[in-house]
Amino acid sequence: MHDKELKIIMDYATDKVDEIEILLLINNSFSVKIHQQNIESFDYADAKGIGVRVIKDDKMGYSYTENFAENVLRDVVDNALENAKFTDDDEIAYMEAHPELNQKLDIYSADLEKVDVKAKIDFAKKLEQYAFAADNRIINVPHVGLSDGTTYHRIMNNKGLDKEEKQNYLMSYVSVLGSEKDDKRMAMDFAITRDMKKIDPQQIAEKSVEKCVALLGGEEIESGEYPVIFDNNMMATILQTFSGIFGAKAVHQGKSLLVDKIGKKIANDKITIIDDALHPEGFSTRKFDSEGYPSQTTKLIDRGKLLSYLHNTQTARKDKTRSTGNASRGYKGTLSIAPSNFFLQKDDHKKDELYQEFDEVVEIVSLQGMHSGASPISGDFSLSAEGFLYEKGKRKNSLKQFTVSGNFLKLLQDVEMIADDFRFNMNSFGASSVLVKSLNISS
Amino acid sequence: MITKELVAKVIDHALSNGADFAELFFEDTYNSSIHFNDNKTKQNNVGNDFGAGIRVFYGQTEIYAYTNDLSERSLMQAADAASKAAKGKSEKKVIDFTTLEFENKHLIKIPNDSVDKKAKINFIQKINKAARSAGDLITQVDIGFTEKMQHIWIANSEGLWTEDDRNYSRVYVRSIASNGSEKQIGAEGPGGFAGYEFFNSLDPEYLGKETARIAMTMLKAKYAPSGKFPVVIDNGFGGVIFHEACGHALETTAVAKGASVFAGKIGEKVANSVVTAIDDGTIPNGWGSENIDDEGMPTQRTVLIDKGILKSYMVDKMGSIKTGYARTGSGRRQSYQFAPASRMRNTFIDNGSDKLDEMIASIEKGIYAKKMGGGSVMPGTGNFNFAVSEGYLIKNGEIKEPVRGATLIGNGANALQKISMVADNLEMGQGMCGSVSGSVPANVGQPAIKIDEIVVGGRK
Repeated sequence: MHDKELKIIMDYATDKVDEIEILLLINNSFSVKIHQQNIESFDYADAKGIGVRVIKDDKMGYSYTENFAENVLRDVVDNALENAKFTDDDEIAYMEAHPELNQKLDIYSADLEKVDVKAKIDFAKKLEQYAFAADNRIINVPHVGLSDGTTYHRIMNNKGLDKEEKQNYLMSYVSVLGSEKDDKRMAMDFAITRDMKKIDPQQIAEKSVEKCVALLGGEEIESGEYPVIFDNNMMATILQTFSGIFGAKAVHQGKSLLVDKIGKKIANDKITIIDDALHPEGFSTRKFDSEGYPSQTTKLIDRGKLLSYLHNTQTARKDKTRSTGNASRGYKGTLSIAPSNFFLQKDDHKKDELYQEFDEVVEIVSLQGMHSGASPISGDFSLSAEGFLYEKGKRKNSLKQFTVSGNFLKLLQDVEMIADDFRFNMNSFGASSVLVKSLNISS
Repeated sequence: MITKELVAKVIDHALSNGADFAELFFEDTYNSSIHFNDNKTKQNNVGNDFGAGIRVFYGQTEIYAYTNDLSERSLMQAADAASKAAKGKSEKKVIDFTTLEFENKHLIKIPNDSVDKKAKINFIQKINKAARSAGDLITQVDIGFTEKMQHIWIANSEGLWTEDDRNYSRVYVRSIASNGSEKQIGAEGPGGFAGYEFFNSLDPEYLGKETARIAMTMLKAKYAPSGKFPVVIDNGFGGVIFHEACGHALETTAVAKGASVFAGKIGEKVANSVVTAIDDGTIPNGWGSENIDDEGMPTQRTVLIDKGILKSYMVDKMGSIKTGYARTGSGRRQSYQFAPASRMRNTFIDNGSDKLDEMIASIEKGIYAKKMGGGSVMPGTGNFNFAVSEGYLIKNGEIKEPVRGATLIGNGANALQKISMVADNLEMGQGMCGSVSGSVPANVGQPAIKIDEIVVGGRK
């Protein structure tokens, strides 16, 4: 798509640059929010943007635009060249005609685009109805809605690369507010799919309500060290928060805990962490990354041993290895590194077994403050949490808001057991429930 | 290009299915960023954000459609999508536009695009040098330098026609200290609703030294204790506690749904009587200031809490329809890609009469939070959390050794009652606040305050 605009840029740039890469993104999305069976809002997005990256005399510059007027498209090239002049970065990501991936990926559903608006509204309305019906302690459903979207990417460079890809998704979510005596709690659940028939509003509603009402009437816990279970969603949240330390760029800049750790044991035997841009159930599945490099499956930690960082072509060249296909760049942004579908491999333990290991266990089902209470640089975290106290394998009571503190690498070393209830979160980070030997709890 | 005739046509079409209100928001923004680390200018990026959003009301239903394509065909298409999403009984039409005139309270002295990139890089290098010469333990300095010139333009079916230029300048500095096995960060991020003169008002030496000092101090800090303690939170970015603990729950976005602990409490005592809290969109060149909000209403100074009594919420247009309270010029959005919502601007606890020394002296065992990191809240429950980025133990009325890794948690309604002392050293700190209508610049602020008891999430 947009052949004309891309040609204007390419033609104008040909004699001015050594290398140029153009990224085009088109995003069409819809969302509906419901409140008390009325439509609170509808949102329609029709967005597009072009970002260019140029190399001239071994300097790299960037520029972007959302305005596709011809003169602006030429300005984009000049701006990027001007920007290149003022950098002194010697770490250049040179461009290539990277090969195609010989694998078909199931990331676009034409049927999904045909689902009509009424079906989407009805789904969201039902979700709210089921949430209120599930328990009379639910006093409010502050957030319930459905959104879907189609994204088209195209990337081309003057070395012969020209790749495009289209993907879509549909997501529905509900967040409920429960009240009992003086205590109020919120809980949420979601489903993400490319086949609307596969998701059930009753199931999503009941899951969120079940969690919410179970948390009501929490008691204070004595501050101290406890064995802790993170449920599957919260373990995925922890992984997401600290995933940045696996990026080779962060390692090179001395901002990662994993400097000089390749080949070394950094976690216990139970831990295998994988980044898989080809995962059939992931929603970050794609044929190529933001440099057009083909996607792959990368084992980062294998039974506790660090095997690889996440690379783009520039960090790979510096480390004398190959890119892992994790170059990341939006049209507005600059080249960096990001995970695709990133997960902790599951084990075969039933969740129930996790509660039996210790006399007293704290289970965490909600975490807040990830962007402030966790430091990817030090690995330390101190987070607001909600959950339950278990005694001798039985749920004793829910807990008043508390904090859980520890260190990410220490946590990976202290994992005692991993369950089989694997799930991806909304951002393509996945995990099963995990039992950790000991963490600090404050209340 | 955009003419009054075209805008009238688009708005009329958006109203054509019986809508109560229609609005067109247009944006043409110049963004520039420089990223510096490893002693080098790593990335230079500039770009143009460009698009329009059409908003339509049917009763309490809000429809929003946006596009980057500002051709008549595309705008009419967006208006069509928005109008057909619902059906109403109104028979409104645009009659005539009246241009809203307002005083520009936030003058720009030096437009950002008139300054040479070399001067900007020179400024950044001074910060880098100061940080790195502060000590051998400083192993990395990350500097982000951002400038934004946003031209906005708003018209609606009530005949409003207005436009404004907004200038933002900010530098973000993170110094990392390392002793080989551990790493800690010190950060500062001053910003202004101003042109390049804002950078000229900063001391690059100070930014470098101060971030290095925090990182090196935290490197030798032990973990904070855990449990309940009295806490003194110092001025400036410490105001994030009010922002998270109460501010979000005072936005009509939360109040209208009853999903706020402060819903229905106007006129009631919600805080200790030493607390007066204000959300002020008019502070000259303040990071969260604007001449007009993103719905075209001149901003104002809104007293939220006066001596402990709840006086006002922060109200946008839809919030006003839903709650019946008058608008406060608080409708804000990140860009044309978001419908506006009630949001904070420059939000602070006002000066009191206590002194920081007296607060410290009044505590036998507690925590002094000199600098705060960010935080978050669930407005429905009021439960908040925020992180201490530079903390110290207080023992027998004196500030002692540094402590790290402390997150403070509590409940907004409860914490407000426990603020027992408010000092006289009000200062603002700059942040980006994320919510339904995207990420917007917001000042948080306060003088030093004492909270009698709060949960500190440290270790042992």
